[in-house]
Amino acid sequence: MSGEAPATRGAADAAGTARGMALECRAVGFSYEEAQAPIPALRDVSFALAGGRSLALLGASGSGKSTLLQIVRGLDAPEAGAVLLDGVGAAQAAGAGAGAAGGAGGTGEAGYAALQKQVGLVFQTPELQLFASSAREDVAFGPSRLGWPDDEVAAAVEEALELVGLPPERFGDRHPYALSGGEQRRLALAGVLAMRPRLLLLDEPFVSLDPATRRELARILSRLRADGVTLVLATHDVDLAWSLCDELLMLDAGRVAAAGPWDLGAAGRELLAASRLREPFLVELWRRLGRDPREAPRTYAEAAEALA
Amino acid sequence: MRTTVAQYYPGDSPIHRLDPRAKFVAVTALAVALFLRDSFAGLAVFAVAGVVAYVLSGVPAAWFWRAFRPLLWLVGLTFLAQMLFGPSDQAFASWWVFHISREGLAFAAFLSLRLLVLVLIGSVLTLTTQPLALTDGLAWLGRPLRKLRVPTDELALMVTIALRFIPTLLVEVDQIMRAQRARGADFGSGGPVRRARALVPVLTPLFVLSFRRADELALAMEARCYQPGIVRTRLHPLKAGTADAVLLALTAAVIVLGLLI
Repeated sequence: MSGEAPATRGAADAAGTARGMALECRAVGFSYEEAQAPIPALRDVSFALAGGRSLALLGASGSGKSTLLQIVRGLDAPEAGAVLLDGVGAAQAAGAGAGAAGGAGGTGEAGYAALQKQVGLVFQTPELQLFASSAREDVAFGPSRLGWPDDEVAAAVEEALELVGLPPERFGDRHPYALSGGEQRRLALAGVLAMRPRLLLLDEPFVSLDPATRRELARILSRLRADGVTLVLATHDVDLAWSLCDELLMLDAGRVAAAGPWDLGAAGRELLAASRLREPFLVELWRRLGRDPREAPRTYAEAAEALA
Repeated sequence: MRTTVAQYYPGDSPIHRLDPRAKFVAVTALAVALFLRDSFAGLAVFAVAGVVAYVLSGVPAAWFWRAFRPLLWLVGLTFLAQMLFGPSDQAFASWWVFHISREGLAFAAFLSLRLLVLVLIGSVLTLTTQPLALTDGLAWLGRPLRKLRVPTDELALMVTIALRFIPTLLVEVDQIMRAQRARGADFGSGGPVRRARALVPVLTPLFVLSFRRADELALAMEARCYQPGIVRTRLHPLKAGTADAVLLALTAAVIVLGLLI
């Protein structure tokens, strides 16, 4: 629909380009304007995540998780610091030439904007965004904004519906509001996945889902992870975070409390408690069994194997 | 979020603490009196009263400016019309149907100033009174109408609920717009038709959500035994005190002075 450079698609598809996008935040700061005084939401947030890795974004409600995700997607501009996508920052892309833009497939601000379009963001309760009169049409909204040819859009839609467990032949023509809550959540996820994001940000995706849908969603995410998509998962569910994420970033009142690989020794446990979280079940189990909690398995299957 | 709806400026000035009913009566009486009198002297009395209320309210001038700004074109238009279409017999400049006279100029200035004083007095009320308190006050003042079977309490409740949900819905509109922007929607470019069409992905979810909320709220109210048509007591009954009596007495004095001077 819009005049999107074909380079956008090229970068996502081209063989040789890594599927997962690398993400780095350098001293990112942001505050919300309120009537009386600005309220700081993020202060000096720095971390790096290699392409294809998955990150659990933990922290109490109001610690800045949602704000950080929206800044990474470019819905808000950071007041301080920079967000680097595949090593490219906004200012850098605007100033430097082809060399700096590297794999972005473009230079200048357009190059950075093209990278931002390869970042998918799934909002908390994303079923709010459903508006079209059929599931297929709703999922097609995103990819058609990217200016892809019609057959490519159609293929992406079928693929995304299939991936989230809503087979297009059964669900494609259904009205989004005629679906159950869990199906709506998965349909909204398909709407983002159809844009073939190289970095997928999810804001509390498990909230108010029944256990079966939760497991289904976790299965979809681990499949994306296996496909090499970089994942950032903001959640309060430490068990799912533990099973899905390689690393963690913990925010406390807008500041980084911990970043990097999981550390679930005594200090790590205290950090989790400070954010009103408990340690993952399997970690606790390992500790109670008298084993090293740092070597706790990620999945029940691994645990069963280790205990057998 | 910037909204023009939530005009209230939180504060604890003497004006803020007044009973909303007293404020509403005072402002209505002043507004009526303002239009009964057509002399600069009378206007000056009301203007002074308005400025005193403004100073006492402690609301920053910028907030008043926000209330004035959208009305400036109306004031300007009034001034121009009155200036150009004044009486023709003593005009010192005339062209075609336009006549500019001393009387015309004076009348134009008078009308414009009257409008400004009116906005000033009205703004003091809306800037220092929470919309909900104002609704409560109006419901109380409308009580005699219940004898005529006007469901004043139910109307007040409807207004209260509507006001309560405006900020909530604004937050949700913001979230929906962000979600669609993350999917590539573009709300800022193109002609009017394209812009209107770009809003479909926002308005559809918003309507669905509003209906769902209304339905849930109705159920919740029923579950808490809400019944229309019966007299309900209040958690915070409105209480008028000495200050409110003083306000009404002062208002009466200002009106008498303004009408007689």
